[in-house]
Amino acid sequence: MKFNLKLNLIIGSFLLTSINAEAKEFNGGADMTILTPVSKVLAQPENYYVIPTTIMGTVVKVCQKRGCWMQLASDKAYETLTIKVPDGKMVFPMADMGKTAYATGVLNAIELTLAQTNQRLKSQDKPSVTEPMTLYRFSPTGVTIVD
Amino acid sequence: MTLIFAISGIALNHIHQWNSNYDVTQTKVKIALLATKINQTDFEPWLLTQLNESGIIKARFWQDKDTYKLFIKNKTLFVLPKQNLVMIEEVKPRVLLRQLNFLHLNEAKKAWTWFSDLYAFMLIFLALSSMFMIKGKRSVFGKRSIIVLAGFAAPAGFVIYYAS
Repeated sequence: MKFNLKLNLIIGSFLLTSINAEAKEFNGGADMTILTPVSKVLAQPENYYVIPTTIMGTVVKVCQKRGCWMQLASDKAYETLTIKVPDGKMVFPMADMGKTAYATGVLNAIELTLAQTNQRLKSQDKPSVTEPMTLYRFSPTGVTIVD
Repeated sequence: MTLIFAISGIALNHIHQWNSNYDVTQTKVKIALLATKINQTDFEPWLLTQLNESGIIKARFWQDKDTYKLFIKNKTLFVLPKQNLVMIEEVKPRVLLRQLNFLHLNEAKKAWTWFSDLYAFMLIFLALSSMFMIKGKRSVFGKRSIIVLAGFAAPAGFVIYYAS
């Protein structure tokens, strides 16, 4: 009985302490050899729908609840690109805001209707438009976050 | 182990109503002359002094023309120069619940995957073997089969109702 209790305490404390170690790589990490600036990816998005590339940027926003997306600052002013993974595939910690993230993957284009576009702009306190917009999301296969 | 999955299961089911991973607090501070100071070279140390913050600024980013974001450890400073306002957003991981959710969602991967798989197999064994422990009239093939069927019926009912 005493032995079992000790064993449980050892296993439990090992698990709880090991999770404090910061996970810097997700799914094997990013491929640093194919780095492309976010501004270049967003300027010619069609080039990155199939061929994987690696983007880099400061983490400026993270999904608070499930950690399933994070927003990276572009090298161009006011521009960002959101990287999104299916729930649970990778979990990005909120504590990583302000760190630099590298993500390898492909770009996805989401065509919004005019109503969806204006609804989105309204929620951001921006004026409505007459043309629907395309939303870009980056789907990563590997991510590396450095401080 | 059962408690880890049960407690975090409830926490994760209700994460849209209550963030069980992080305690996020926002504090607003009015600072005079912010719009003037933001263009000066000593702006960042001056701002940290005004806010009584001792952290090191890790990164900075203009979110839009009116919002400048500064990142220090576990805090984001939203600087709104036109309003002479700084909003401090602090993120604190919740004690224990964050760790339980971490394990439940298998963020650890590696050895934890195998360890939790082993536990799951043991639960499967427990569930299946318990059905055949009692022989005779009170066995699972007698009247008590209703209890087993009820166990299958509840999740099946939800699937039929919600997934159809």
